[in-house]
Amino acid sequence: MSTNSKTLQITPDADNKGQKTRDYKNKAKKSTKTAGEKVGVFICRCGGNISDKVDIEKLKSSINADFVEDYENLCSLNCRRHIREEVIDQNLDRVVIAACSPLTHLRTFQNYADPLNPYMVEMVNIREQCSWVHSDMEKATPKAIGLTQAGVEKVKKARPLKKIISRTEKSAAIFGGGISGITAALSLANQGLKVTIIEKNPTIGGNMVKIGKVFSPEKLAEECSLCILNPIINDVVNHKNIHIMTKTHLLRAGRRSSYFNLILEKDTSFVHEDRCIACGNCVDVCPVEVPDEWNQKMTMRKAIYKPFSQAVPDVYTIDVENCIKCGKCQKECNMNAIDFSLKSEVISLKAGSVIIATGHESFDLTKRPEYGYERFDDVISQMDLARILGVNGPTLGKLQKISDGKVPKRVVMIQCTGSRDEKTDGKRYCSKVCCMVALKHASIIREKFPETEVVICYTDLRTPGMYENYLRYVQDKGIQLIRGRPGEVSRRNGQLVVRVEDTLQRKPLEIETDMVVLSEAIEPSQGTMDLAKKLNVGLSQDLFIKEKHSKIKPANTDVERIFVCGTAQGPKDITDSVSQANAAAAKVSEQIKCGTEAEPPVAIIKTSRCSHCGKCREICGFKAVYQDEEFMSIDPMACRGCGACAGVCPEDAIEIKGLNDQELYAQIEGLLADKKEGEVRILTFLDNVGYTAADTIGNNRLTYPEAIRIIKIPSINRIMPEHIMFAFNHGADGILMAEYPDECMLEAHKAKIKELSEFVASKGIPADRLRFYKAYAPHYRGLAKQFEDFYKDLSAVEATK
Amino acid sequence: MLKKGMDRRSQNMVEEIKSDYKASADLGLKRCMQCGLCTSNCPAAKHSNYDPREMVKMVLDDDQEIKENPDIWNCFYCYTCQSNCPVNNSACQVNQILRETILLEGGNNERIVEFLSYGYSYMDFGVGAIPSDFFDALVKDFGDHYIQLKINLEDIREELGLVDYNLKGESLDEIRNILIESGFKKRLETFQKQGES
Amino acid sequence: MKNIPDKNILLFKSCMVNVEYPGVESSTKYIFDKLGIEYAIDPKQSCCTGLGFYYDLFDQVSTSALAVRNIALARKSGHENIVTLCSTCYAILKKSINLLNSNEKARDEINGILERAGLSDMKYNEGDLSSENNVFHMVEILYSKVDEIAPLIKKDFSDIRIASHHACHYCKVYPDHAITGARNPMILDEMAKAFGGNVVDWYDFKKATCGAGFSQRFANRDLSVSATADKLLALEGEADMLLHMCPNCQMQLDRYQPVVEKEIGRKLNLVHLSVAQMAALGMGADPYKVLGIQTHSVPVEGLLKKIKDI
Repeated sequence: MSTNSKTLQITPDADNKGQKTRDYKNKAKKSTKTAGEKVGVFICRCGGNISDKVDIEKLKSSINADFVEDYENLCSLNCRRHIREEVIDQNLDRVVIAACSPLTHLRTFQNYADPLNPYMVEMVNIREQCSWVHSDMEKATPKAIGLTQAGVEKVKKARPLKKIISRTEKSAAIFGGGISGITAALSLANQGLKVTIIEKNPTIGGNMVKIGKVFSPEKLAEECSLCILNPIINDVVNHKNIHIMTKTHLLRAGRRSSYFNLILEKDTSFVHEDRCIACGNCVDVCPVEVPDEWNQKMTMRKAIYKPFSQAVPDVYTIDVENCIKCGKCQKECNMNAIDFSLKSEVISLKAGSVIIATGHESFDLTKRPEYGYERFDDVISQMDLARILGVNGPTLGKLQKISDGKVPKRVVMIQCTGSRDEKTDGKRYCSKVCCMVALKHASIIREKFPETEVVICYTDLRTPGMYENYLRYVQDKGIQLIRGRPGEVSRRNGQLVVRVEDTLQRKPLEIETDMVVLSEAIEPSQGTMDLAKKLNVGLSQDLFIKEKHSKIKPANTDVERIFVCGTAQGPKDITDSVSQANAAAAKVSEQIKCGTEAEPPVAIIKTSRCSHCGKCREICGFKAVYQDEEFMSIDPMACRGCGACAGVCPEDAIEIKGLNDQELYAQIEGLLADKKEGEVRILTFLDNVGYTAADTIGNNRLTYPEAIRIIKIPSINRIMPEHIMFAFNHGADGILMAEYPDECMLEAHKAKIKELSEFVASKGIPADRLRFYKAYAPHYRGLAKQFEDFYKDLSAVEATK
Repeated sequence: MLKKGMDRRSQNMVEEIKSDYKASADLGLKRCMQCGLCTSNCPAAKHSNYDPREMVKMVLDDDQEIKENPDIWNCFYCYTCQSNCPVNNSACQVNQILRETILLEGGNNERIVEFLSYGYSYMDFGVGAIPSDFFDALVKDFGDHYIQLKINLEDIREELGLVDYNLKGESLDEIRNILIESGFKKRLETFQKQGES
Repeated sequence: MKNIPDKNILLFKSCMVNVEYPGVESSTKYIFDKLGIEYAIDPKQSCCTGLGFYYDLFDQVSTSALAVRNIALARKSGHENIVTLCSTCYAILKKSINLLNSNEKARDEINGILERAGLSDMKYNEGDLSSENNVFHMVEILYSKVDEIAPLIKKDFSDIRIASHHACHYCKVYPDHAITGARNPMILDEMAKAFGGNVVDWYDFKKATCGAGFSQRFANRDLSVSATADKLLALEGEADMLLHMCPNCQMQLDRYQPVVEKEIGRKLNLVHLSVAQMAALGMGADPYKVLGIQTHSVPVEGLLKKIKDI
């Protein structure tokens, strides 16, 4: 395919010029522009694989076309020359290849038929669907003739199409300035993209800056997280390609074919960031004190503040909600940086790609009041403990009770608080990091405060892979592990009591302790959910951002050009967040560097007919349909050409390129044309998975009745009631439709089955003449059995006539 | 006790319990992860040898010995275990069904005969009453005051402006017919016969 | 908060209220009458069977068949909102309605019983009632009217330290239906606060069972009393009054408190009242002619002396 034609629209292939030899040039112009009807048929003997079961001479003589020839091995390089020469010499406009499966060799023959437009090449599968599945020549030959002639009729209706190259704007917007967001930002910026980091808080750094130390299973040690993060943050700040917008959130987003139009709001902080020199004089005079989020509200901060000393950007900010506008800070500021008239700004940003890296929130521990968080001072969360153990925390790293400042003699940790919990407000999933977090804190406590006992109450300890080494390392420091999920934390005589069953000893315990640490679940943040709604990105059942495919498309969302990384997508630790951030960056880069090539079989909306009812957008699980200004548009990169939209369009404004109605009707008619009196014929519509299964039946030389005639379709959504009626009217005895529906199209799939079944019923056609089957690629025997059973049933009916 | 080897695990007891009308439609019995949360809050586990977690485990193992276990009769039916079970199981429901099954199989009859009077009273008046077998024990604990209350109850109720609560006439016939048709009457008689033999 | 009715109410009689704390019923009626809540008491209504059910004596089908009859009575008289005085009636009725609505086999079986009993007109159709929207506890009606009750309170409860005992069968059988849930039930505390009480929010064993345990009270007395003692001892010196919402719990804690006191050899000084009794008292009801405190085991008179008129 020509690579020099990069355009965003589908146009008839008119400019395949420049790369071809002179000989082909005229031909190319002619074939694509006038689309004449001269058809050449090339038959492959396949070294006996076909010719042993199909009488090639009879096939050749039976086909009605402008040119028919057979070859021993059509896919051989030698034949490339033959095909090309015949196309030129015979002045062929269209080509039928009667050989093997298009799944194996369509691309090969599209290439061999060059200079013809690749979509003027039709492959007829007389091997997997004929010679390999039928026992003798008497059965296989007539079928091969029928299949090939149907191919000729179909290709006559083919229209030249052109591959679609999509270009993505060379910029990216990253929501979230935590470790995931800044990792992705740096990767893209280093590759030359303009990156904007959009962070709702006054500083970037996310949760990682707060947690003091991170576990390192490789070194069997705890490392200073700020020391790891700081150089990266500095790189981000100093990078010429990165722009950081703090205190900013998305208002709304518009999707275009190659970029997003993001409307952002930057909240005011009453501070001119460019003037503030972070001297801090303002803080001393501010009279307002509020709990400090940086220290998990265990300390107080002023209404004008810098979140922490290494905060980026390095400026002071005013907490507008709590500021009383007394003006004291303004008087104190020598730089004139404070200005109460500053308003929030609305900013428009054009970004080719979007990465969602908005992180997570911690489970609200007051939803498990039986553990006494907020009821008892010394019941705290792991994040609270992380701050307490942090040398820049409220106690400068000293482990002490909030109630009386004393070092606790015993600390009991309760795992799975809010995780692995089906009850209301609970999270059904495992939060994945809490076992390691608990072990990390246990390790620090045992190291620095050896007089303090650590007890961890767990359901299952989850330390997969190398993390098991870390578990052993911490166990060696002397911790107590109790297998049991505590029911409650109480207080008796001023002492906390944890009630838990030691399930390994079958013993209900009441553990007296000075401090209880709850390992809070990771949960999807409200901000992530709001953002997803504005960007029309799908959420998982657990309300994290849903990946397009958890195995093979882990950083993609269900919207083209929007990616996800970090805990916005699900619970994960820093290591995994960074990996996914780099994956997301690679995906953005891939789109920009290579462009994206889409196969032309996609839906096209005829704007003049469209009434903007939005039904197409509703049904499309691939989210390919979007409203661009006032027009409905289809993103060819996202579209699979399944046809669901065309099926629901009340204005008939959607056309499916690649398998147009004329082709479909021609193929149906062609496959039924040679049906004889008393013969049973079953039309079978198969999607890609079904077609693969059918090929596999052939590969394994299973047999099935020759009554089966297969039409390859993108999805059963492509099939309309009129196609079904047409097939029955032209002699089909039965119709089988087999598909492995995409998960996102399950509802549409079910609706289609219902629609077609009801249609058939309304026409008085017996219900079992139209069958549906869920295809599985590996379960080809199931499909073969469907063929057999259907044939048997219909034959029985036929016999009674 | 370590089991030597393990036969293919049947889950007959689990299936029976799950399909019992006393079980919630979404009972998470099979998902039990043996975390012990039920036991940690269980009043019977606190004051006796009963362990709801272990009971569930034995049910999951289809271990019939659970039916011989005297501790399961200590469950208070307080539903505390059910209210916070992370997998939506309910040891309380499992226990109810188990106990009913044991009684229907003729086991532990002495545990039900003392309560039969409740059933007969219900059939006679359409209301529940404290099982008469235990009245003396209550008086012993509550003292003379309690007898006085019972003697004066009708007067007190009248003073409070309350009407008679016992069912009469047609209503009582309806109740009796329902309990005959539901097999409840037969059930009472069976329990009684088992107790007498 | 869920939608709580104030009319078309069938006030569902409770066996334990009938014979142990009849003052709970008269107090509820007193409040309902003052607030203009439309309700009926049906002499044909039979007991919920709850005690028998939890003695392992009643099977689900018999219990639900009797529930269907009571539901039919309620619907027939136009009082399809069933309001119970006892938490076990509440849970038992909800369970039956859920089973009838969701299990066709059970529904057919139960309707078959009614048919054979000559009560075809009482048969239950799927969705006749909803366990969430037609079954309530008396405490929920009071809670929904707390803003109307509070101004009517003429007694000063501010010197009374009030703790609450939330009934297990209200909170824990259907936690998602219970106002304030099962994990940290506060409905009684919030009401006591609204009535001007000095509320003890939390105490050890607050959520624990009263200890009655149905058959445990009789067949396993010591076990039962141990659980009761957990609560009473946790409240020793912490509260003057324990607020109730279930006659069975009230009986357990009120009648066995002297038993526990005898065992430990000291007085616990805790008085037991139902929230309906407290509200009625506050609204000026007579302690004997409405609250029925003469049926209590722990004398209430001492407490009454401490409560002054506003």
